[in-house]
Amino acid sequence: MSVSPEIVVDGRGLEPPEPMELVLAALNDLQPGQRVRFLIHRQPYPLYDLLRRHQYRYETTTVTDGDFEILIFRP
Amino acid sequence: MTPAAGLALEQAPPFSVPLRFFLTAPWFLVLAGLLVLWRGSEIFASRWVPATLALTHLLTVGFMAQVMLGALLQMLPVVVGVVVPRPRLIAALVHAPLTLGALVLTAAFLMSSPVGFQIAFGLLGVAFGVALVTMLSALWRAPVTSATVIAMRCALFALLVTVGLGLLLAGFFGWGWQLVVVKVTNGHAVWGLVGWVLLLVAGVAYQVVPMFQITPPYPARFVRGFAPLLALLLLVWSALLAAGWTVGAAVAGAALALGSASFAVMTLRLLSQRRRKIGDPTLVYWRASMSCLLMGALLGLATVLIPALALAPQVDLLLGILLIFGFAVGAINGMLYKIAPFLAWFHLQAQLFQRTKIPNMKLLLPDAAIRRQWWAYLVSLLLLLAAALAPIGFSAGAALALSVMGGWLGLNLAGVWLRYRRVLQAGLAVTPKPTPVCLIQDHLL
Repeated sequence: MSVSPEIVVDGRGLEPPEPMELVLAALNDLQPGQRVRFLIHRQPYPLYDLLRRHQYRYETTTVTDGDFEILIFRP
Repeated sequence: MTPAAGLALEQAPPFSVPLRFFLTAPWFLVLAGLLVLWRGSEIFASRWVPATLALTHLLTVGFMAQVMLGALLQMLPVVVGVVVPRPRLIAALVHAPLTLGALVLTAAFLMSSPVGFQIAFGLLGVAFGVALVTMLSALWRAPVTSATVIAMRCALFALLVTVGLGLLLAGFFGWGWQLVVVKVTNGHAVWGLVGWVLLLVAGVAYQVVPMFQITPPYPARFVRGFAPLLALLLLVWSALLAAGWTVGAAVAGAALALGSASFAVMTLRLLSQRRRKIGDPTLVYWRASMSCLLMGALLGLATVLIPALALAPQVDLLLGILLIFGFAVGAINGMLYKIAPFLAWFHLQAQLFQRTKIPNMKLLLPDAAIRRQWWAYLVSLLLLLAAALAPIGFSAGAALALSVMGGWLGLNLAGVWLRYRRVLQAGLAVTPKPTPVCLIQDHLL
């Protein structure tokens, strides 16, 4: 069985900390070689902090309308 | 990799830094209620009664400044991206003298004690001095100049003026310094409420109203201009007041009232455009707070236009209750219910990530607890307003309601802390998953 290369988490328009709860749950399920694609309506600074503490790599890009897309990779 | 370096909670202080302020502050509301119960209708005779001044400072220094400074110590590194060095030491140097200072100042008013004012001068001078130096130097170095940072700079400048004038007044009572007391007191009150409180609430609201109430953002031009314009108006008003140009000061005062009203109207409008229809339990605090700000601003405007109104002592008291208890305490009470459980939840995530499942934020502080305390807040607000108009009939009821409301807030916040500790202890007892490497930082609390 092939695993999808990424888990998509859409946290746009949700009340904090729901987006972070969803993305942390996705990270928990992350398989080797997989990444998380996280969509969010603001810069998730607290999440960056957690990611750095736990040595995940991440890349942030600005999408339209002030939305952000963050790709997260396993350490 | 990311442009966000420098803006993260890893720079944020340990949970204990803001928490000590949040756990202390509500008990000053209980003291305020007990003071009203003790002194009875005398409190509502005029704003110049010593017991009324004591009550005012239990609310403003004991409760409001306590929460606002604690929250700022927490927020500055996160929002502004500047590390506050030695956060525990700074928190202790602010929290202890601020708490003691508020108590001593209250006693000094009640006993008309010059020595009391001298001690309060020293304690509050240290507390606010350390807070101002720390925070202004952090904001000075801020790499970001968002509207929130601009509003916070203006708010802290206003706090500097408020504290400066407050210390002058303490010098008047403590050492008999020569002052134009009424003018300095009015300046102290207006810089405190319109400058420090309103501008800080505005700066924070720009972030938290859209975030937690799921509203559209504040218009960009409004948030850029509002705080600097109000700070400028405050300076103009003060200069005209000091110069004794009554008409000019009245015009500037009217402009300040209209400016304050514009923030209330803007926020109420945004709250009516919430994208989510499920009622958030803190929404009502924002609505009450902004309605009181609007009513207070309009009443303030009315006193400028109809000078006879300004002579009635009840008008001063209504203004104080609307702006201090209605606007400021309401907004702070509501925001505490977001800040405290969020910080508890976040610090649990940071320490227990991949060890154990963290309870949902709503389990750290149930909605039902918030909704019940809200009714106590609303009843206190209405009874305080009624007591300003009919002291004999309502002051005892207002006093009891105020104590209940404050104690309830204190218990709700203490509950968050207890649940945090329970989850943390249980979580740390669990063996972590082998991968990825968990760097547990046990420095929190």
